[in-house]
Amino acid sequence: MYQLTVYGQEEKYLFAVTERNHLLDILQSQGMMVESPCGGKGICGKCKVQIIQGLVNALTAEELKYLTDEEIDQGIRLSCLVIPLGDLTVKLLDKKEVKHKILTDGYMPELEINPVISKKVYDLTKPTLENNLSYQDLLEAFLDAPILSGDPSLLRSLPEILKEEQVTAIYAGNELIGLEPGDTCAEMYGIAVDIGTTTVVLSLVDLSEGREIASETAINPQKEYGLDVLSRIDFVRRKENGLKVLQSAVIDCLNQLMAELCRKNNVLPERVYEITIAANATMMHLLLGVDTASIGKAPFATVFSKHQNFAADALGLNLSPFARLYCLPGVSSYIGADIVAGVVVSQLTETHKNILFIDMGTNGEIVLSKAGQLSSCSCAAGPALEGMNISCGMRASEGAIEGVKINDNEINLKVIGEADQVGVCGSGILEAISEISRVGMIGKTGRLKKKAELQSDEKLQGLAQFLIEEDGKRKVIIDSNSKTIAITQGDIRQVQLAKGAILSGFYALLDLMEITMEDLDEVIIAGQFGKHLSVDSLVGTGIIPGELRDKIRYIGNSSKTGALMCLLSGEVREEMERIAKDIRYYELSTMEGYERLFTRCLNFN
Amino acid sequence: MSDLKQSLLKDLSDCVVDMDEDQVVELAQRYVDNNFDVYEAIDQGLAEGMERAGKLYEEEEYYIPELLMCSDAMYAGLDVLRPHLKNDENDDKHKVVIGVVEGDTHDIGKNLVKIMLETSGFEVMDLGRDVPPMDFVEKAKEIEADIIALSTLMTTTMENMERVVQILKEENLYERIKVMVGGGPISPSFANKIGAHYSDDASKAVKLAKSLVREAKVC
Repeated sequence: MYQLTVYGQEEKYLFAVTERNHLLDILQSQGMMVESPCGGKGICGKCKVQIIQGLVNALTAEELKYLTDEEIDQGIRLSCLVIPLGDLTVKLLDKKEVKHKILTDGYMPELEINPVISKKVYDLTKPTLENNLSYQDLLEAFLDAPILSGDPSLLRSLPEILKEEQVTAIYAGNELIGLEPGDTCAEMYGIAVDIGTTTVVLSLVDLSEGREIASETAINPQKEYGLDVLSRIDFVRRKENGLKVLQSAVIDCLNQLMAELCRKNNVLPERVYEITIAANATMMHLLLGVDTASIGKAPFATVFSKHQNFAADALGLNLSPFARLYCLPGVSSYIGADIVAGVVVSQLTETHKNILFIDMGTNGEIVLSKAGQLSSCSCAAGPALEGMNISCGMRASEGAIEGVKINDNEINLKVIGEADQVGVCGSGILEAISEISRVGMIGKTGRLKKKAELQSDEKLQGLAQFLIEEDGKRKVIIDSNSKTIAITQGDIRQVQLAKGAILSGFYALLDLMEITMEDLDEVIIAGQFGKHLSVDSLVGTGIIPGELRDKIRYIGNSSKTGALMCLLSGEVREEMERIAKDIRYYELSTMEGYERLFTRCLNFN
Repeated sequence: MSDLKQSLLKDLSDCVVDMDEDQVVELAQRYVDNNFDVYEAIDQGLAEGMERAGKLYEEEEYYIPELLMCSDAMYAGLDVLRPHLKNDENDDKHKVVIGVVEGDTHDIGKNLVKIMLETSGFEVMDLGRDVPPMDFVEKAKEIEADIIALSTLMTTTMENMERVVQILKEENLYERIKVMVGGGPISPSFANKIGAHYSDDASKAVKLAKSLVREAKVC
């Protein structure tokens, strides 16, 4: 046993540790938050800690890749590669990201407000000596419906109810789910949720008016245990209690956000009667505490895909004791409820047009509607478009370069927040590469031109100053004010991989449905992340072919919008459940000739 | 050596690097028509070109599409030359069993490694994708392979690499058959931990494979 001392930003923790393991694992099992997007595999370089005192294993080769000389001098290490060899004192370096820009707005088609939840108020007759019925019998006769005795809490509420002159009955569809003393008809709320791999978004909705009151967002707290879906599935497999840890993390997050939403808007949490949830298959499994192992490997089966209906209480969600939980239906491990929601929000089935729908993320999910006939695929785009796996990459938070323009031999930047720029986020990388391609610093194959090539070209001479050649590798310096920020050849390759994956997905689906790019009437970009990618960048890097430039439409977070629509309309739920059955899914990686298609799609225009 | 032969060898190599499939076929045919030694055309022409392409890939000059197009050119040349090859040259090749581990179907990376190994003189048995750990070992035993090369793109299937190493140990084959691993989520320390060897791209995989068989010879 040895002593581990951990300094946080403002506090200090002491642990007695017996396990011999990597420091990251130890910190996480002690409940410390250390960001480890790659799940502790030593390949993202983000889980840095500073060793203040004590003995650890020698610096590993991978750490040399991710640490600067200065950091090494300061004793900074990657916690996933450090093994404590005795008493140890470390300092956490991860400043909690505070100012995230998260998009919540989104397009919603018109719909008839007809929530599943409804209320009805009754005048009470009280028992008399002549009519000496039990409260339960009395009410049941009155409501013409049984008061379900599955839950004694309803019975416990009866004395309170009988004190009043009126009672309000709450129904889910035709089913009586609860009773409240007095007339509470004016207060009837619901919550719509999108649980994304990266962010969680909640909307508080007034069900009687059919109006969204406000929304709150937070970073999905599961991200501390792995940035993408696969690392979380791996976490569940590796860690005892892993499933419980991830489930509790997201439920705590939902409870916190709901409490905040209710407080800020003067709504009693007891007056929230339904929560509808859209999420990808993995997030949905984790929310319900269902093992995710089967999703993580071929043949990528889910445990469940259909819609689900539970008591919200079963998950420990702090709402009305009668509140219901509705999980939107999905199709498969890749095409989850988030995508089905997107299909309904984009009205892909109600059209005679050909529409391409894409939700961009680590996996790009694509749905093609050929005059209402739906096919889908998923492409392994990787995290490059979210700023990961990029040398100077970061998430869209304070200090991230989100826009890059090259004009007249100058590079202009757009930075999030007021802090000094520290890295480039996904939209910044995409725009930088689009610009580098536009001005001709790279050719069709994505190779950065040599300095000599630039200098000898009249048009490119002025840009040669930004190109650095180091150890035979080239990179473009886009900023050197507070810190050198560059786009390397390797970064360009990462974006090419993402682009190749997405574009080949488009072509594969079009091919299967026997239509061409020219036949498309519209391209819909969904997702909170996709919205930040400009048409210029998308077309400039060739993720979307140039001929579709004027057909691009952004619909924002359609997953949350879908959950909202389900809250407001029982008919929408039925439609989603029907559509989920109609979407055909195609696996790209095993498709004949896919490799060649993918390879062709790597090239720039 | 005749000037013509020498210049044809150089052109073959250049055309592979330049991804010129048609030209390679033409050159290979001329080479055969002149009755020059076919083995040399493969070794010093096509394979040499592919090796240069691999080097360009490593230097970030070339990327996956170029490498694949180079290999197209090389295989086109090979198709012309191979029928004229005497059989005896094939016997002492080192053998590699390659595949994507069970649970994963992404195989582009694996295919690149396979091409590079083949052009460097290895005999490669490709088991494809979603391959159970036992199958690698069975096949390696059957063909007396020197190396098993494993690939995956998915974090969730990495454990199957470890499984292959375990089976080799259980069957006392671990010393004889080396295991190479690679793919998106794989790191050197992971490879180290499970007792395998790591390379981070197709070109480096060849160097690693060569050094592994060299080591084995020394032992």
